[in-house]
Amino acid sequence: MKASVQQQHLAHGLAIVSKAVSPRSTLPVLANILIASDDGRLRLSATNLELGITCWIPATIEDAGAITVPARTFQDLVNTLTGERIDLTLDPRTQTLNVRSGSSNTDIKGIDAQEFPPIPVPDLSEGVSLNVNDFKEMIQQVVFAASTDEARPVLQGVLLNIKEDQITMAATDGFRISVRKGLLSNPVRQEISVIIPARALTELARIATDGEQMLTMNVPPGRGQVIFHVKDAELVSQLIDGNFPDYRAIIPRSYKTHTVLSTPAFLKACKQAEIIAREGNNVVRLNILPGSDSPGVVEVSAQSEETGASQIQVDANIEGSPLLIAFNVKFLREVLDVIKTPSVALETNQNNTPATIKPIGDDDFVHVIMPMHLG
Amino acid sequence: MPIRILAEEVASQIAAGEVVERPASVVKELMENSLDAGARRIEIRIANAGKALIEVTDDGCGIPAGELTLAVARHATSKLSAAEDLFRIATLGFRGEALASIASVSRLTLISREQNAEMGRKIVVEGGKLIANDAAGLPVGTLVRVENLFFNVPARLKFLKSDLTEKNQITQLVSRYALAYPQIRFRLMQDEREVLLSHGKNNRREVLAQIYGNDLARQMLEVELEDEDIRVRGFISPVGISRSNRREIVFFVNGRWVQDAGLSTALIQAYHTLLMVGRYPIASIFVEMSPEMVDVNVHPAKAEVRFRDADRVFRAVQRAVKRALLAYSPAPQLSSSTWLSRSGEAGVDPAWEMAYEANLAQMEVAPEPAGKETVPQPVQLPVDSLPLLRVIGQVGAAYLVAEGPDGLYLIDQHAAHERVLFEKFMREAGKEIPSQALLHPQTIELPPQAAELLQTQLAVLNRWGFEVEHFGGNTFRVRRVPAILSGLDPLIIVRSLVEDFEEDETPLQAEIEARVIARVCKRAAVKAGQILSAEEQNALVRDLERCQSPRTCPHGRPTMIHLSVDLLERQFGRRGSR
Ligand SMILES: Nc1ncnc2c1ncn2[C@@H]1O[C@H](COP(=O)(O)OP(=O)(O)O)[C@@H](O)[C@H]1O
Ligand SMILES: [Mg+2]
Repeated sequence: MKASVQQQHLAHGLAIVSKAVSPRSTLPVLANILIASDDGRLRLSATNLELGITCWIPATIEDAGAITVPARTFQDLVNTLTGERIDLTLDPRTQTLNVRSGSSNTDIKGIDAQEFPPIPVPDLSEGVSLNVNDFKEMIQQVVFAASTDEARPVLQGVLLNIKEDQITMAATDGFRISVRKGLLSNPVRQEISVIIPARALTELARIATDGEQMLTMNVPPGRGQVIFHVKDAELVSQLIDGNFPDYRAIIPRSYKTHTVLSTPAFLKACKQAEIIAREGNNVVRLNILPGSDSPGVVEVSAQSEETGASQIQVDANIEGSPLLIAFNVKFLREVLDVIKTPSVALETNQNNTPATIKPIGDDDFVHVIMPMHLG
Repeated sequence: MPIRILAEEVASQIAAGEVVERPASVVKELMENSLDAGARRIEIRIANAGKALIEVTDDGCGIPAGELTLAVARHATSKLSAAEDLFRIATLGFRGEALASIASVSRLTLISREQNAEMGRKIVVEGGKLIANDAAGLPVGTLVRVENLFFNVPARLKFLKSDLTEKNQITQLVSRYALAYPQIRFRLMQDEREVLLSHGKNNRREVLAQIYGNDLARQMLEVELEDEDIRVRGFISPVGISRSNRREIVFFVNGRWVQDAGLSTALIQAYHTLLMVGRYPIASIFVEMSPEMVDVNVHPAKAEVRFRDADRVFRAVQRAVKRALLAYSPAPQLSSSTWLSRSGEAGVDPAWEMAYEANLAQMEVAPEPAGKETVPQPVQLPVDSLPLLRVIGQVGAAYLVAEGPDGLYLIDQHAAHERVLFEKFMREAGKEIPSQALLHPQTIELPPQAAELLQTQLAVLNRWGFEVEHFGGNTFRVRRVPAILSGLDPLIIVRSLVEDFEEDETPLQAEIEARVIARVCKRAAVKAGQILSAEEQNALVRDLERCQSPRTCPHGRPTMIHLSVDLLERQFGRRGSR
């Protein structure tokens, strides 16, 4: 293989794929990045066998070929090169990649490309077309609610369901759930229901650049994988096997108190309370006080044995009965962080039943949080 | 079958079964008689694990020649005359049953010469029948020879364990008494081999060395506490040394070896979280109090006692042990030998080796036990505090490096966080424990035995922030978990709690609570492999500094290793090594 690329393109490509490298794997080749000529471009791939990322960059290919090189070494080297152009030359006999740029000349020992696990190729004609911006927002609004506990693989994933032109994503850690709906421009013929690792979706949101209009999702039958194709990159992820909890049964259908707050004001109050609460047990108390003729107020308070106590008042439009309810402040802050509308509704029943948070003016997003119980 | 009165012979064999179960129980009864007789020397000869011969010779007061036959009669004792005497028993024997029982199941020779008598006397009883009664010459004292034990009760013989086990039981028994009575000279011969010899010079550590070897004996911590009329003395193992069972926990109450679950639990609890779960200390504790405060007439073998105020006794034991432990609890010091050798290869956790050596070093500089405590209440535990530390950074995403005035500290982030959470939890005892409700109650099915265990502990769990309810059969429903566990799998947590309960069938309530909390904290603590920001590192070390027992995690593992300035200097050759 003999190819030349621009430093900037190569550095960018390596930044994208390096997230899938598994440096601690027992399989040495997984700590490497595959570099291969591919139809007039250079293909970079990395995989940890659960998540694989591929990226294509513009290149001038003189001789076709492929090699894998240690990801850290190669990436660190490329990041320090100052020359605009980098020439890559493979010595197939020694499996050594020569990297030349300006006055710099480095040989990196590689591992035969044959040893690199094959990365599946999506069938783009069978794929579902998704709007990049919309899909990234959907991901953002649900992934944070997924569990990080390795003991519960199903909850480490996001449920993605596509039926006709309806797309729904849901994530839960057992204490809260985020559900986001959306519409597709082209309906699908067959229903798709998969659990995708939250981590893969976070990576996808990172590599899907806003400039692109659409991305394609492909679930090849019987393979337990999902492939996302963006213009110059592809992400393959293993699907999670298992039954996702039935979120429809969890979302409350009615409420006793309906509280509308300014999203930024509520978020700010929660962030302030968290400064105190995080030293304790993350408990924030909401004292929801409807006014008699004036609108009403929510007292957001936190206290901790060590740090002290804080109280912030947030104006609110409250209908229904007063309520004192406690939440994990981190849960509240995380959901308010992803709500884009200026106002938000908090729907509650009792201090021991689930509370619902919905953006005002956006019926596609629902978040349910279980309250905390004190003593 | 018609009801019949049992023949005298059968009846006494049945009664004998309660007192003499095995050779070791014979040895115990005979030794106790010698002690009651005021002996200064007791010599025990055993042949064939006690089945062929048990012979105990003492230099005690002896038995009047005319009373020898009485001594082997049932319910004949010189130690008790009226029922009210039972409430203030100062002797080990009082039931007048032992010699009679032994005589009914063996060939028993009793030779004794009273203090001022010119001659001694000898009787021989076989299977309860007197077969000889003659004059005999011997020094003042008593000799009891028991041959062919259980010759007429084959069922008993069949139930004896292997010779090795029976022999070990005897050796253990005699060593324990030797330790309890250091002013008396004990000599034990098994098959003509001297197994134990104590010098009777009132030096318990010397006896300890005989039992446990020099090394361990040197490291055992001395316990001493006087609380009004209760006196607790003895030895306990330091934190780094433990056993996987409670067998090495020995209690003597008023000179009597007793088996009392309450006492052992009080002791184990005093170690609290300093020992790993499932590990037990080595201890010989001698409790003394006035005879009225304890009822010894509970069990034919006199192995159990009943305290008038058990709680007070337990508290005294616990306080005594805690004080001894805190007086000697350094951070494990990395010694030069472990530093240079590749430790841990022998299968011993290197941290334990260090703790072991640290304790050893400590013993050499501080052999004096804590002084007598005159004001008993309230319990003020000295705080085992850390100096102020400056955090330098994180190593391998698992350890923090910090500097103190006295050198370098390596801190295990997971263990340290466990300790911090644990103490925080304990401080909140009795206050409101915030708990996080689950979106969907989760059900868990357990094996029947585990389910039964969980059922009995539900109240404890629910007091500490869980809401778990019995859901019929072996199924339980989890509705809430302690707030610090939100985000983690509730079922795994409940399962691991149950496993913990299973490890020990009879822990005390307070011990259970500590275990539940320790388990919860283990799940919630940062893991090794988690990268901590500079602020997080600092916060963790600050929190650890504020802990009462910052040097161990709630499961007893060390949270830190200390490299003293002195050690560093020696290692770098700036100072000659000692
Ligand atoms: N080694 C001994 N030295 C002196 N007296 C003894 C000795 N062993 C037994 N006796 C006498 O024999 C009695 C009966 O002994 P035993 O059957 O063990 O009953 P107890 O010890 O309960 O009185 C004792 O009360 C004591 O008077
Ligand atoms: Mg006796």
